[in-house]
Amino acid sequence: MREALKLKGIRMRNSKRERWPKVVVWSAAILISTVFFLILSSIVWHGIGQISWEFITAAPENAGRAGGIGPILVSTGLILGVAIAVALPIGLGTAILLSEFTPRESIFGTMVRRSLDILAGVPSIVFGLFGFVLFSNILGLGFSILSGGLTLACMVLPILIRSTEEGFRSATEEYRISAASVGLSKTTTIFRILLPAAAPGLSVGLILGVGRAIAETAALLYTSGYVDRMPTSLLDSGRALSIHIFDLSMNVAGGNEKAYASALVLVSILVVINIVSFYISNNWLRRRITII
Amino acid sequence: MILAIGLIPVLTTALAHADSNAENAQELNGKLVITGSSTVAPLVSEIAKRFEAQHSDVRIDVQMGGSSRGISDVKQKISDIGMVSRALKENEKNIMAFPIALDGITMIVHKSNPIDELKNKEIVDIYTGKITNWSEVGGNDAPITVVSKAEGRGTLDLFIKYFQIKSSDIKPHVIIGDNEQGVKTVSGNKNSIGFVSVGTAEYDAGIGIPIKPLPLNGVAASTENIRNGNFPLSRKLNLVTNAKPDGLAEIFIEFANSKEVADIIEEQYFVTTPE
Repeated sequence: MREALKLKGIRMRNSKRERWPKVVVWSAAILISTVFFLILSSIVWHGIGQISWEFITAAPENAGRAGGIGPILVSTGLILGVAIAVALPIGLGTAILLSEFTPRESIFGTMVRRSLDILAGVPSIVFGLFGFVLFSNILGLGFSILSGGLTLACMVLPILIRSTEEGFRSATEEYRISAASVGLSKTTTIFRILLPAAAPGLSVGLILGVGRAIAETAALLYTSGYVDRMPTSLLDSGRALSIHIFDLSMNVAGGNEKAYASALVLVSILVVINIVSFYISNNWLRRRITII
Repeated sequence: MILAIGLIPVLTTALAHADSNAENAQELNGKLVITGSSTVAPLVSEIAKRFEAQHSDVRIDVQMGGSSRGISDVKQKISDIGMVSRALKENEKNIMAFPIALDGITMIVHKSNPIDELKNKEIVDIYTGKITNWSEVGGNDAPITVVSKAEGRGTLDLFIKYFQIKSSDIKPHVIIGDNEQGVKTVSGNKNSIGFVSVGTAEYDAGIGIPIKPLPLNGVAASTENIRNGNFPLSRKLNLVTNAKPDGLAEIFIEFANSKEVADIIEEQYFVTTPE
């Protein structure tokens, strides 16, 4: 009884003292949400009036002041598709190598990890210039969706690998030991046991990567280019949505309204991608672990 | 490179009928890559769209990145035609330039700024850091925010040539890239001064954005004064090629110079070149 009261007393004293950290933490969270809300409401406020089926599907006219963003959406999707199709297998492979086949403290693993962390912090314009030299010039892809997508893949890889690797590491040793004890092969263990467990890490990496890629301007300016025509192949130049927004707001007098409308579309796509990947990691990939 | 695909058939068929290209529209095909000045890019994009509409087998890709890039790209054969918003320099004499439109550069300040005119000497002193407060030129007691353009931009080259200052002597607080960015920077800062394309300034001031174009040597900065040749700080917007253009490039440059695109040039707030 005395022990219980003493415990209660400690709790009460602490709860008073803990009010301040609580206030600080809450106001930080509220501040962040407010900033997000302000940005979002400003974009919605200026952009919503412009949004229509016509705007989503039509081609831009008069340097983007009129018309829509149809070809630009298609180009953006293709660039993103190329980037993910290239980055996902390479990223997953590297993450598995780092977490399952190299000891955490090994020199090789540390070096790869360190390089990836530095790469993740490299400004995107550097990736853009690299992509321009390697893909556009040396490999002769010119200004094309392909060279833009490959450049973005290079840019997204570090984030994707590191967060997927963390996902694999978050699966405790018990998973591996249990799998080994029932005689599962390493391949089965990785793909049937560890991958579902790592799914949240993978999907976080993917969201961050896609988010960085779809919002990218500098890396695409010199690789996928500025052409706002409907692309007919991956070797065509195609203007990404973010470049369209950049051009409308920075270079085209009177382009502001359409820039806001395009930004609203971009933000909506980001929200949808977030929701979908959250759903996938929570329901779809997780379910596989119960089947086994 | 890939870019050159289709130029050979164009050479043979199109050159033979270069003066009547509307008739043999179906025979033109190939791809042109045009890169360079961001001031010129929206204009050339629109001209290219009309050209493509007339010749369905032609593709013209317009990429931007600044006048200097326009020149280096044609030199390296990355592009077929470059866009340059300034006169060619001494070491660029082997490049051929074809003016397609006129544009001017105007000083802009915030609309609330009481200054209505600055002497050239005052502008030079502001940009070289000798004058740092608006009160020194008869304005409010407020520090001047100097907005300049990034290196390699045609607008900057023309500005320093006209005012005869070295670009290394400019002491900017803000460095901008494209025209609209300049307008946004100045309209967002009551004590700033910048310089942008006359067409951009005229349009933006017209739709109520709080900027004020300043006259130069007493001549108002307007497309009208550029057209009649009175505005002193004007420039040609050029298409450039590495050698004498042929085939598709030649036909396109001819098209960009023709009366057929006069409405596009005005729509983009530039001035057509006198015949």
